[in-house]
Amino acid sequence: MAKNVIVAKDLYLEYKKDTPIIKESTFAIKSGSFVFITGPSGSGKSTLLKSFYGELRPRSGILQIGGVSLNSIKPSKLAFLRKYLGIIFQDYKLIKEWTVKKNVMLPLLIAGYSKNVCEAQTARLLKHVRLEGKEEYYPLELSGGEQQRVAMARALAHNPVIILADEPTGNLDEYSSRVIWNLLEGANEQLGTTVVVVTHSIPTNLKVPFKHFYIEDGKVYEIS
Amino acid sequence: MKSLKNHISLIIPLFAILFAVEFYFIVDKAITEYQKNMSKDYSIIVVSKKPLTLQELKAHEPHVVSLKEVDSSLVINRLKQNGITINFKELKNFLPKFYKVYLDHFPTPDEIKKIKKRLLTYKTITRVEIFLKVHEKIYHFLVFLHGISQIFLFIVFVTSILLVFKQIEVWHLEHKERMYIMALFGAPLWMRNAILIKLSVIDTLISAFLVYIIYLYFISTDYLKNLLGVENINITPGDIFHDLLWLMGLGLLISVVNVIIVSLRQPRI
Ligand SMILES: Nc1ncnc2c1ncn2[C@@H]1O[C@H](COP(=O)(O)OP(=O)(O)OP(=O)(O)O)[C@@H](O)[C@H]1O
Ligand SMILES: [Mg+2]
Repeated sequence: MAKNVIVAKDLYLEYKKDTPIIKESTFAIKSGSFVFITGPSGSGKSTLLKSFYGELRPRSGILQIGGVSLNSIKPSKLAFLRKYLGIIFQDYKLIKEWTVKKNVMLPLLIAGYSKNVCEAQTARLLKHVRLEGKEEYYPLELSGGEQQRVAMARALAHNPVIILADEPTGNLDEYSSRVIWNLLEGANEQLGTTVVVVTHSIPTNLKVPFKHFYIEDGKVYEIS
Repeated sequence: MKSLKNHISLIIPLFAILFAVEFYFIVDKAITEYQKNMSKDYSIIVVSKKPLTLQELKAHEPHVVSLKEVDSSLVINRLKQNGITINFKELKNFLPKFYKVYLDHFPTPDEIKKIKKRLLTYKTITRVEIFLKVHEKIYHFLVFLHGISQIFLFIVFVTSILLVFKQIEVWHLEHKERMYIMALFGAPLWMRNAILIKLSVIDTLISAFLVYIIYLYFISTDYLKNLLGVENINITPGDIFHDLLWLMGLGLLISVVNVIIVSLRQPRI
């Protein structure tokens, strides 16, 4: 029996007082599983992911990642936890003063890998997302889809335990989307990485088994 | 261009602080030097019925370091020139002895009055002249100079620290997004602030070095000596270099503490 890596009980999330975005939601995500989160625009999908990486603390209820409670986590512990996450943000959040290469390297630098390891791993990932030759570009010199692929490479760079991806194929053509899904599937299958993906449309030809959560009216439902 | 402007906005206040501190050091050295010189130049005139020895006087007044007899023939010659005819040989024995008395330091006006009183209790001493007016003027001028340099230092220090703080805050805003993204990937506080610390360390070194060069120039042109009016004040490049290390330490402390304050004022991510 796989353990639960993400556990939520009666989770309540809000930005402004008494305006719940997520409420009365109880669910669990098993280690090594592949999970899709869908729901209408503005339903709180990104907000839920935000709570997973600790940017938004639960107002009430319980939220645990890897057995660590996020309700009142200390900054140093949160920083430690985040090293095990690979996040793809809906707005990419690339560092615009840094080159593509350095952006991808960020989690490796934080983890304290040697320069050689950083270089090799970065080169490998940029090849996977088909961005060889753009290593020295700056994010603003790339197309939206290219930026998204840089964000993908960065999220995978340090072989995270959990990948949290917010619409990772939102800006991509069919071929590039296929590349991204293959990478996520690969991490899930080969490394046992837990993958949580927010998306509007679940790909039809996925090889791995997956779970599906749906958010509506602030509640998280497990559909399959 | 923009980053150059940013550097200058930090270098100027840091430079001002360090310049003022070094200036204070030098004025302080000059004043100590003045006081030493003053105690060499400044003497009390003591008139005594009988010859005095240094030991005798020291027993009464421990601050006395030396004693010089003023030749009474000087007085007699004056009388001779005025055409007074007396037996000068005899007169010499009747005249009291005049002494210049030197002290081991430059006393305060109060101290000097006390010294006068103590000397007068000695039975053979009939008169003590302390030149109080002249002495007080010089003394108060030194105190004034010291006070002014302290106030100057204080004002420069406070305004400059505020400017340093403002500039680091500007940097923080500029690098906020990057620091935020780094935080989302679990970068520790020091790593997120590394860029600010790096910038302020560089600017501190530049400012301290500028101060060093400028004072070296001052020394080499005797500008300081003329300004302070001290002839034998001895400030060597080595002294300035010694101060420079001190100033670098101070500059680093100021800027790093400022970075820490700025980063702690930001909300948690
Ligand atoms: N920083 C914020 N402050 C206040 N309200 C916010 C903030 N971010 C999001 N919201 C609100 O929370 C609600 C959910 O936003 P969220 O971004 O989670 O939606 P979403 O499901 O990801 O939508 P989409 O599919 O369009 O990305 C929205 O109504 C939005 O207005
Ligand atoms: Mg969203």
